[in-house]
Amino acid sequence: MALLDIRDLVVRYGEIEALRGVSFSVEQGKVVTLLGANGAGKSTTLRAISGLAKPAAGEILFDGKSIAGLGPEAIVRLGISHVPEGRRVFPGLSVKENIMLGASNRRAPKRQLSDEADAMFDLFPDIRAFSNALGWTLSGGQLQMVAVARGLMAKPRLLLLDEPSLGLAPVIVQAVFRIISEIRRTTTVLLVEQNARMGLSVADYSYVLETGRIVLGGKPDELWGNEAIAAAYLGGHAKAG
Amino acid sequence: MDLVLQLLFTGIGIGAVYALVALGFVLIFRATNVVNFAQGEFSMVAAYLMVVCVEMGLPYWLSFVLALVGMALLGVIFNLGVYYPLRHRTYLPVIIATIGASILLANSVLAIYGPQPQVLQGWFETPGIQLGPVYLDSQYLLIIAVTIALVIFNYWFFEHTMLGKKLQATSQDKEMASLLGISVSTMIMITFIYSAVLGGLAGILVAPILFVSIQMGSTIALKAFAATIIGGFGDVAGAIIGGLALGVIETFGAAYVSVPYKDGFAFLVLVAFLVFRPQGIFGERVAEKA
Repeated sequence: MALLDIRDLVVRYGEIEALRGVSFSVEQGKVVTLLGANGAGKSTTLRAISGLAKPAAGEILFDGKSIAGLGPEAIVRLGISHVPEGRRVFPGLSVKENIMLGASNRRAPKRQLSDEADAMFDLFPDIRAFSNALGWTLSGGQLQMVAVARGLMAKPRLLLLDEPSLGLAPVIVQAVFRIISEIRRTTTVLLVEQNARMGLSVADYSYVLETGRIVLGGKPDELWGNEAIAAAYLGGHAKAG
Repeated sequence: MDLVLQLLFTGIGIGAVYALVALGFVLIFRATNVVNFAQGEFSMVAAYLMVVCVEMGLPYWLSFVLALVGMALLGVIFNLGVYYPLRHRTYLPVIIATIGASILLANSVLAIYGPQPQVLQGWFETPGIQLGPVYLDSQYLLIIAVTIALVIFNYWFFEHTMLGKKLQATSQDKEMASLLGISVSTMIMITFIYSAVLGGLAGILVAPILFVSIQMGSTIALKAFAATIIGGFGDVAGAIIGGLALGVIETFGAAYVSVPYKDGFAFLVLVAFLVFRPQGIFGERVAEKA
């Protein structure tokens, strides 16, 4: 049984139907990527899974149990951690405080959280020196590291990552994807990417979203060869990146 | 020089009251992005609760505790009745609701207690002590001591506890806080309780200096509001510095220029800040919230 199973998911924003019956699944221990252009519904899919957007129809099964309609606070307690678009690092709190707050879905004494946050810097050595810097002083790449580290502090069984490469220099993007390949050893990952090359490079399986529907799904090497995706998403690297 | 010291003491004392109410303003503003126009009414209600308890013959300290417990309850009711139903709306309906709540609170007290101003005695029997050239009124000393203690507590609470960090996180980005598993509605509830208690404390402390009246809430709230603007809206340190500065300025203005225009000085300073430094003393740091 898949860890996450989504069936005929429909999400509406007022009159606009952002998702029109999306179905896919994420197997335990895999990295699955959702690819697609701006406005295809990638972020909406993640928002529906984490409880930020209420599904109008369809099912979201996590570990076999329906979680559609639960609030974000309840869903993160079940073990789904969402690192949203735009990093959303708390600007007035320090890097370490941001990371420690990532464990708000479970009860732990402050000292233990502090130790866990310190241990997190082993995975993210680039931000260790900024432990006491406030969120707003960081660069985009550093913010992304903090956001992912914070997401991992929830000890999730499923990590949702929304466009971690957005707005980052190529060398930073590679650092971020190196971290994702580290994370996959312990955590299942559902990754949303506009940068199809990066998205396919780490994936076990990928789906392509187009205006609220899944139009394609397959293993990365199958998708590389697919002319439709090559034309639509891989052709213009500058545009996609 | 003696007069200057004396005025400074009095100014800081009254300024501390403004600072406490201003702190309540700022905390609610940061958590909900809404100015709570009933913040001053919290002070007024607490002062009346205190008068009621003391008149019932309860010891002063017990009345104090009961009044603050009452304020915590009022904070809960206020949150559930005024903020919570409108939390998904824009700031405007919420602000109007707080104005409505302010009118409701003032007139409820008027209906129950009548328009006659009440007198509340101070905590101490001794009216004060003479320290060199300066006469230290015991009630002012109490106000300053309580304010110092609260500022220290506030700093410790927000900077050194996880709950304080969660409250800060909630005030900076509610959606992200909820994604991390922080209960946003609980955090906002705590903020309202804390702000109601702070406002109540200010009312109880200042009551023996002023009369306890229906209007005391709006007078204090206007000064505290001015203090938050002078300090830099949304800034905790700014609220405290702004409150103290305002107390000192109006005390000196009253002594050296004109007593009837005492309140005028506070608002003159406010207007000057709005014209020349609208972001307030600590204005830049508000930008961090963006």
